[in-house]
Amino acid sequence: MAQTGSVVTYTGHLYLRQRLVLAILSGKAIRVEKIRSDDASPGLTEYEISLLRLIEKITNGSVIEISVTGTAFMLKPGTIVGGSVVHDCPLMRSVGYFLEPVIMLAPFAKKPFHLNLRGVTTDDNDLSVDLIRTVTLPHLQLFGISDGLELQIKKRGAQPNGGGEVHFLCPVVRQAKTLNFIDPGKIKRIRGISHAVRVSPQFSNRMIDSARSVLNRYIPDVYLYSDVYKGEESGKSPGYALSLVAESTTTAMHCSEAVSKPGETPEDVALGAAHALLAEIRRGGCVDRKHQSLVLLMMVLGSEDVGRCRMGEPSPRTVQFLRDVRDFFGTTFKVVPADSDGVPNSHLIFSCYGTGYINVNRTIT
Amino acid sequence: MADEQSNKAHRPAQSGKKAEKKGKGKEKQGFNEKAFAPKSGRNADRQGRRNAERDQTRLHVPLVNRTPDDEPPPIIVAIVGPPGVGKTTLLKSLVRRYSKQTLSEAKGPITVIAGKKRRLTFVECNNDLNSMIDVGKVADLVLLMIDGSYGFEMETFEFLNILQSHGFPKVIGILTHLDLIKKAATLSSTKKTLKKRFWTEIYQGAKLFYLSGVLNGRYPDTEILNLSRFISVMKFRPLVFRNQHPYLLADRIEDMTSRELIRSSDGMCNRTVTLYGYLRGTNLRQNSRVHIPGVGDMSLRSVSLLGDPCPFPDADSEKRRKLSEKKKLLIHAPMSDVGGVTYDKDAVYVNVPGSFSRDADGVPQGEGEQMVMDLQDAANTLEEGVARSQIRLLGSSSLPLNVLARDDDEMDEQAGDEEESDLGGDEDDGSEMGSDAGSDDMDTDGEDSDKGPKVGVSILETEGRRSLRRVSRPMGPASGEAENGEVVFAESDSDMGFDDDLDSDVDVEEVNVCEGEEDNTEDAPAWKTNLASKAAITFNLGRRNRRKDWFSLIYSSSLTPRQVLETNPSAEAREVEDDLDDGDFFQLRSAATTVDDTDKTKEDLDPEDLKQWSDEELLDSIRHLFITGDSGGDHDDGDKNEYEDSEGGDFVDLEAPDVNASATALTEDPEAALAAKKEALKRKFDEQYDEPSNSGMDFYDEKKDEIAKQLQLNKAEFEGIETEARAQIEGYRPGMYLRIELEDVPCEMIKNFDPSYPILVGGLLAAEEQFGYLQVRIKRHRWFTKTLKTNDPLIFSLGWRRFQSLPIYSLDDHSIRMRMLKYTPEHMHCYATFYGPVSLPNTGFCAFNSLSGESSGFRISATGVVLDIDKSIKIVKKLKLTGTPFKIYKNTAFIKDMFNSALEVAKFEGANIRTVSGLRGQVKKALSKPDGAFRATFEDKVLMSDIVFLRAWYSIQPRPFYNPITSLLLSDKGHWSGMRLTGEVRREQGLKTPQNVNSHYKLIDRPARRFNPLKVPKKLQADLPYASKPKLMKPQQRQTYMQKRAVIMEPEEKKAVALLQQVRALRKDQVARRREKQKERKEVHRKKIEKDDEKRIEKDKEKRKEIMRAAGMKQKRETDAAEGRGPKRRKT
Repeated sequence: MAQTGSVVTYTGHLYLRQRLVLAILSGKAIRVEKIRSDDASPGLTEYEISLLRLIEKITNGSVIEISVTGTAFMLKPGTIVGGSVVHDCPLMRSVGYFLEPVIMLAPFAKKPFHLNLRGVTTDDNDLSVDLIRTVTLPHLQLFGISDGLELQIKKRGAQPNGGGEVHFLCPVVRQAKTLNFIDPGKIKRIRGISHAVRVSPQFSNRMIDSARSVLNRYIPDVYLYSDVYKGEESGKSPGYALSLVAESTTTAMHCSEAVSKPGETPEDVALGAAHALLAEIRRGGCVDRKHQSLVLLMMVLGSEDVGRCRMGEPSPRTVQFLRDVRDFFGTTFKVVPADSDGVPNSHLIFSCYGTGYINVNRTIT
Repeated sequence: MADEQSNKAHRPAQSGKKAEKKGKGKEKQGFNEKAFAPKSGRNADRQGRRNAERDQTRLHVPLVNRTPDDEPPPIIVAIVGPPGVGKTTLLKSLVRRYSKQTLSEAKGPITVIAGKKRRLTFVECNNDLNSMIDVGKVADLVLLMIDGSYGFEMETFEFLNILQSHGFPKVIGILTHLDLIKKAATLSSTKKTLKKRFWTEIYQGAKLFYLSGVLNGRYPDTEILNLSRFISVMKFRPLVFRNQHPYLLADRIEDMTSRELIRSSDGMCNRTVTLYGYLRGTNLRQNSRVHIPGVGDMSLRSVSLLGDPCPFPDADSEKRRKLSEKKKLLIHAPMSDVGGVTYDKDAVYVNVPGSFSRDADGVPQGEGEQMVMDLQDAANTLEEGVARSQIRLLGSSSLPLNVLARDDDEMDEQAGDEEESDLGGDEDDGSEMGSDAGSDDMDTDGEDSDKGPKVGVSILETEGRRSLRRVSRPMGPASGEAENGEVVFAESDSDMGFDDDLDSDVDVEEVNVCEGEEDNTEDAPAWKTNLASKAAITFNLGRRNRRKDWFSLIYSSSLTPRQVLETNPSAEAREVEDDLDDGDFFQLRSAATTVDDTDKTKEDLDPEDLKQWSDEELLDSIRHLFITGDSGGDHDDGDKNEYEDSEGGDFVDLEAPDVNASATALTEDPEAALAAKKEALKRKFDEQYDEPSNSGMDFYDEKKDEIAKQLQLNKAEFEGIETEARAQIEGYRPGMYLRIELEDVPCEMIKNFDPSYPILVGGLLAAEEQFGYLQVRIKRHRWFTKTLKTNDPLIFSLGWRRFQSLPIYSLDDHSIRMRMLKYTPEHMHCYATFYGPVSLPNTGFCAFNSLSGESSGFRISATGVVLDIDKSIKIVKKLKLTGTPFKIYKNTAFIKDMFNSALEVAKFEGANIRTVSGLRGQVKKALSKPDGAFRATFEDKVLMSDIVFLRAWYSIQPRPFYNPITSLLLSDKGHWSGMRLTGEVRREQGLKTPQNVNSHYKLIDRPARRFNPLKVPKKLQADLPYASKPKLMKPQQRQTYMQKRAVIMEPEEKKAVALLQQVRALRKDQVARRREKQKERKEVHRKKIEKDDEKRIEKDKEKRKEIMRAAGMKQKRETDAAEGRGPKRRKT
C-alpha cells in the first residue's frame, strides 16, 4: 500500500471488495495494480468487472478506468445513490459476492436501496442468500439499521446455471449507532433452512434429520425449516443446501452452511453444516466469523465514541480489513484478549474510536 | 463546568449566639404549607399545568459534549466590535485582571487561567470581515462591544448574522463610552433603546454590560471584576459543527524551513510551518487533513503533544479554596509581549521600559530584561564555547568527542540551524548574541541527545521564559521514534515469546496431570475427569493467544494476514500435521493460494476439522456454551481462575505493556477483579429489580444517562495506554496542547504574517475533502440591497472554508423539475446550486458579494443551509422554439424556421407544439426541401399568420468554479479580490458595454391589419337557413313619418320649460359663487402651511448638522486610531 495524494494504491486482486467499499465510503480514490499479472489469464475476471459495473450503477459520478491489459484499474468514487437498480450477476459467483459490498454501502446511500439481483443464489464461495437474510441483516440491526431492511428471495438458483432472483431493500440512515457488545451469552436456539431445488423434496427432510441428530444433544430449541422451491421459482439447475444459525441469549449469532456437491448425500451435507456450526460456536465471540469485517466497518463508521465488540479469532480477511481501514480512515483498533469472567478463551476485544461518519449523501428536505 | 466545583458544606454554628437564636422565633414553626397552596381546584390545575410547561421549556435536545471535563481546552473569548470602541483596552484590562500583567501590545490569542477548572483564551477580532468570520466560527463566548455614545454599527449586525449561520455561541454585549453622555436622562434612555435593540437581535434578556470611562488606560477594576465573574460562571452548550470537527486556534507559528532553502529560492519556496495551539472540538487523528481558512487545505505532516504551557493548578494547590496568586501570573501569549518579550516570526524583541540599568539589583527584572542581561554576561564567543564543549556520545563514555577545526561557515550554519529550530530561526545577530547561553545549552543538549530526538522540541519550549513559565516538554517521544520502538518491541516479543511459551506450557501440563489424577481417585464421572485436562488445553491455547500481541501483529508487522494467524502455535501445529500427511507435496501451498484467489467469504469446510467432531469428548466440551449446559461450565471457571492466579505473575512481564495494561491490571490483583465482578452482579441485580423506580425516568433523562454512560466508557477504554499508542488509536484529545507541522505552506503566509489576524486550523472529515455540487436552501438577506443574479460570483463561508463560487438559483417546479431562476426571489427561500467542497447536509452558511471594507452597506448577501450533495445536478430553464407555417393544408401545416436541420427535427418527432391562438399539434416528420422544415398536424386549421412554438427545457450545469479565499496570504489582508463581474471589469478599464443592435428598443410601427369582407356565394346563400343567412340591408332612404312632422309646444308647456331653465341658471350661478369663496379660504390655509413647513425644514437642518458633527468626530477618532494610536483620544 502506498498513498500518493489521496489515491490509495494496492497490488493484487485479493480483498478487492472490501477495498472498493472503503474507497467509496471514504471518498478516496483507489488504484489496484498487478491484478493477476503473473497468471495464465491475467487481469480482472468477469465477476470482478461485473462488480465494478454494479458499483457504477449504484453510484453517481464514479470514474472507473481499467488499463488496456486489465491488470490495473482506478476508481474515483462518486456519491452512493441507491434507488432501484437491476443487475445480472455472472454465474461464476453467487449473488452473495455482490450483495456483501452493497450491504456495506447501502445504509449510506442517497435514496433507499431497492436492488434486484439475478444469478446463482447459493454456492460454496460466498454467503448464500439465506445466510444474508438470517444473519447478515440482523448484524446490521445492531447498528440501528432496521426499518425496511429486507431481502426477498424471489427465485432460487443453484450452480451452474443459476436463474435465481433476490430483492434487497435497505433504508438510509444518518449515522450508524455505536456498538458495545462484549457479552457473547449462551446459545439459546438454533434455526436453519434447508432448501432443495429441482430435486426430490425428500432431500430437504433428510438433511434436517441428520442435522438434528447432531444438534439435539445440546439444546431442544432446534427448528430447521424445509424450504422447497418448485417450478419457475426453482431456477435452472438442481441443488440443495443447509444453512444453520445459532442465536445466543444476547442475540449473538453464529452460522454455518453446506452446499450439495456431486457425489455427496444429503446426510453428508447436513453433518458438514452441523459440525461447522459447532466449530463456529466453539470459536465464540459476539459476532460470526464471516461477518467480522462488516461489524468492524460499522464500528469505524459509528459516532465519535468508543465502540467495543468481542470476537473470536480474526479471519485473514479481517486482519487485512483492519489494515485497509487504517489506510482509508486512519482508524486503528485496540485489540486485546478478552478474559472477563475467568474463562480462558481465544476471544479478542476489538475497540475503536468511531470516525463520526455521517451520511453526506442523504438529502435534507 | 462550574457545577463540578464542590464547595465546602455549610456547617451551622453548634454553640454561641447564633445557635441559641436558631430554635426561637418564626422559623420554629417552619414552612407554612398553606401559604402557597392554591385555594381552588381550578387554580391548582392551572398551577400544575404551568409548572409542567415550564419544565418542558427547560429541556433541550440532549447533545453530546465531546470536550473532556477534567482538562478542557481554554474557552475562546472573542472581543469583537467596530474600531475605536475600546477592544484593546478591554483585553488589556481583562488580562490584567487575570494575570496581573500589563501588556503594552496585545496581539494574537492570550491564554490565562481563570479558575481551577477554567482557562480563557482571549482573541481580539479586528475589523476585517474575514477575521470576523473566522472568529465567529471558533469563539465560545463573544464580548460584543458597542459604542454607547454612537449606537449600533453595521459591523455589529454583520457579525451577529455571521454567528447565526455558524452556530450561535454565547454573546455578552458591552456598552462603552457611556461617560461621553453627560445628561443622566439621555444616558438612561440610550441604554434602554440600545438594550431593546440588542435583545431583539439576540434574545430577550441577553446580558448587556456597561463600562464607563477609562482609568489609567484600563476600564475601572470593579466593572472588569464583575465582567470576569460573569465569564467565569458562563455555561456552554456544545455546537453541532464544532462537535463534529477537531479545530485549533493557533497561538504561535514557526517557520521550520531550512534557511539555505529559503536563501537559495529568495524566500519564495514553500515553507514547512509548525503551528501551536490547544485542540478543541473532537479528536484529531494523525493523518487527517486540515483546512486553514485564508490559506487552504493541507495535510498534517506530523502532530506532537507538547506540555501544557498554561497548565491547570495541580493537586497541591487544588486543596485551597482560591486560585493561588502564583498561578494567576501564568499567561501564555507568544504573539504578544509578555514580560517585555515579543516573539515574532523570526526574531525575539525585548522591550525595556524607561531607563534600563544593569546594576539595579533590588529591582525585579522582567523576562526580557533577564534575557538581555544574560546575553551581556557572555564572556567568550560561540566558537570558543564550541571548542570547550565536551560532547560525550554515550553517558558512560569517558572521553569527550574532539571538535576538529572546520570551515567557519559550516559551523555557522550548524549553530544557526540549532537556533532556528529553537526560536523559529534567528537572524544572524541573534545567534551571535546568544553565544554564551547557546553554548551552555548545547552542553546540556549534547547529553540529552542520547536519549532521543525530542531535544529539539524541548529546547524550543525552555527557551526564553525560564522565569515565568513552567518548562514544558513533549509528553511522548516524536512519532518516528515511537514507531521504531514499537517495531523493535514486536520483533523481540515474537522472538522471545516461543521460548517462554515452551517453558510455561510444560509447567501447566504437569500441574494438570496431577489434578487429573486427583480427580480420578475421587471417582468422578468419566467426562468430568477429562474436562480438566481439556480445559487446561484450551486454557493453554488461550494463553498462547494472549501472548500474541495482536495489535502490533496486525498494524506494525509486514506479515500477510495468513501469516499473522499462523503465528498462533496451535494453528502452526496443524499446518505441520497437514504437511506430514501429504508428504512433501509442495504443490499444496500453491493450491492453497489459488483457493485464496477467489476472494471468498466462506472458508472451505476442512474435512479434517469436521471429522474431529465425531469425537464425543469434543462434542461434550462445548456444552457449556449452551444455555442447557451451564452448571458444568461454572465449576470449571473456578478451577481455571485458580490456574490463572497461580500463574499470573510470570506472564505479565511478557505482555505488551501498552495495549494490555488494562488486562494485566485485572489479573494482577484478584481483589480488584472480585470487586469488579461484584459490581457487575450488583448492576445486574439492580437492573432486574429496580425497574419500577427506573421507569420513572422520562425519555430526556434516559438519553442523558445514555450519553453520560458512553462518555464514561470513552474515557475508560483507552485509559492507561501509552500516549503515543493512544494517539494512534483514538487521535489527540481536545484540551491537549499540540504542535502541528505542515508542509508546503505558501511562503506568503509567513512573509505576510500578522498576529492580529487569527490563524485557525480546522480538521476536515473524510467527506469534506471531496468536491461536488452542493444544493443549498438560500435566502437573500433582507438588509442586502441588491438582488442576486444567477452565475454571479458569490463568496460563501461554509464549514471552515471561505470560497468564491458561481451559484445557480432555482425553484422546485411542481416537484417535476428544478427550474432555473435568473434572480433570487424577494422575501423567499430558493435553492442554489454551486460547485465546491462537500460539506455535511444541514450545515449553515452565509454568503457575501464582497468582503472588502469599502462597501458601505450591509455586506452579508445571503444565508442558508446545505441540503444535498451530488456529483451531477439537473437544473433546467425554459426554452421556446418558434416557427411559422409556410404551407397549410386542412389540419396539416409545413412549419419552417424552428429547426436548422432534419437531424434536429428527428430528435423532436412527436413533440407537442402549439400556436399562439391555442391550437395544439405535433411534430411529424422533417421535410426535405427547406432545411429544418417539418410537417406538423394540428387539431384545426392554422393560419398563415400564426406563430407555432415548441416548449422545451434546456438543462444547465453550474460552472465548476471554486476559488478559495487566500486572505491570510496577502500583505494587504483586507483587499482580497476574486472573480469580478464583467461590469466591474469594464468600469475599471473604462470600457463601454457593447450593445447588440437587435436588442435596442425602438418604436415598432405596426400597420393596421385590414381584413377582406366576408363573401358568401349567392348559391350558398340561397341554400342557407334563414338564421344563418347574412343579413345585409341597405340604409333606409325615405324619411319616416315622424321625421317629416314638426313638433310645437303648447303655451303651458313653454312656460314650464322656461321656468326650469331659469331655475337651472340660478343654481349654476350659486355654485360658481360658492367655489370662489372656497378658493379664497384654501389660499389662506395654504399660506399657513407653507409657513409651518419652513419652520420644520429649519429644524431638520439643525438636527442633521448635529448628526454630521457626531459622525465627523467618530471619523476623526478612527483616523487617530489608525495613526499609530498615539495620544488617547479621550481623557477621563
